[in-house]
Amino acid sequence: MKIQTIHLDEEQLIRSVVDENDLSADVRNHLSACPMCQGKKQQFERELDTLGHMAKIFAPSPRESVTYSEKPGFFEKVGFYPLLRPVLAALLIFGIILPPALLTISEEERMARLVEEMENDRQLMTEIRALEEDALPDFYQDISGEFYGYFDEEFVNFVAPMEETRIRPAGRFASSPD
Amino acid sequence: MVNKDYQVSELVENAISGDKASLEQLVSLFHEDIYRTVYYRTRSRMDAEDLTQEIFMQMIKSLPGLKNTACFKPWLFRIALNRVRDFHRKKSILNFLGTTTDVEDAGHVGTETHSNPADKVMQKEFWKQFHQFTGTLSRWEREVFTLRFLDHLGIREIAEALKKNESTVKTHLYRALKKFRQNPELRDLLKGELS
Ligand SMILES: [Zn+2]
Repeated sequence: MKIQTIHLDEEQLIRSVVDENDLSADVRNHLSACPMCQGKKQQFERELDTLGHMAKIFAPSPRESVTYSEKPGFFEKVGFYPLLRPVLAALLIFGIILPPALLTISEEERMARLVEEMENDRQLMTEIRALEEDALPDFYQDISGEFYGYFDEEFVNFVAPMEETRIRPAGRFASSPD
Repeated sequence: MVNKDYQVSELVENAISGDKASLEQLVSLFHEDIYRTVYYRTRSRMDAEDLTQEIFMQMIKSLPGLKNTACFKPWLFRIALNRVRDFHRKKSILNFLGTTTDVEDAGHVGTETHSNPADKVMQKEFWKQFHQFTGTLSRWEREVFTLRFLDHLGIREIAEALKKNESTVKTHLYRALKKFRQNPELRDLLKGELS
């Protein structure tokens, strides 16, 4: 096996960290046989590992997990109206003879409902947090000039047009996450 | 890693077919990673928390349309990067109108992750040096570098997440690393931590 005797230069060292397979065979053979070049590469990689580690420990942990709370069940909602229960029971009996297709929920609907529940929870949490930070009601915030309302997509695109390089899912992903 | 990838693929398939437990497991598996990805790009804990919630809701909504379950991770990161980009665009409008109080700060001060004063100083210094360094990078160099060394994505995953080819990703990464090597302040700080 031919082994290059010259040590890796700065460019080759960086390329070895990006992807060692992109180096020429001679340079790769040298790297695998030379403790000095291996040491340099490992030192470089350790610096980058430390960077990732420090970023992780110096970032705060999330205070809450993603919200999944369930809404109260149907009978819990009507719990205050016991007289309605026979009516509901009758409706359920008639429901049995309805075509089953009317009663099944598609996957998309299930996901949409889950998203809706989570969105409601999120809005509630946002309102609570906004209150923690600024307890002024909307009316007074309007007066104090701190409340700036909602901008729709059209307005956003008008003031800050989307760059052409915008990241957009395409190709094999049928559904756009935008 | 292969096992984890397999596990993720299986969870994705189960979640798509309506298994709520798999969906929740999937979310909890990536929750902290996505939160940090957003935090590194917003420098605000509150914004990162809100955006993370939105990203996972978007994920759940779009999941039935995901064709290749093996590509779930870069697909999820793509949703996250899109959402962060929208956030910055809207924020730039508020800044332009002069109606926002900027909660972002260059040193990530106020995040209170460490009670020890020496750690706090170190934390502040780290983010200061890090943002000074990323300030020398182009937008793509910064994105690729951060995805590779802070978010720990592989080259192929980055290429998939950014919809760029692998050689373009490597070119940006090479340029970013070259600038990293020419940044003695940040490297000294990291070497000090290593020794
Ligand atoms: Zn050598």
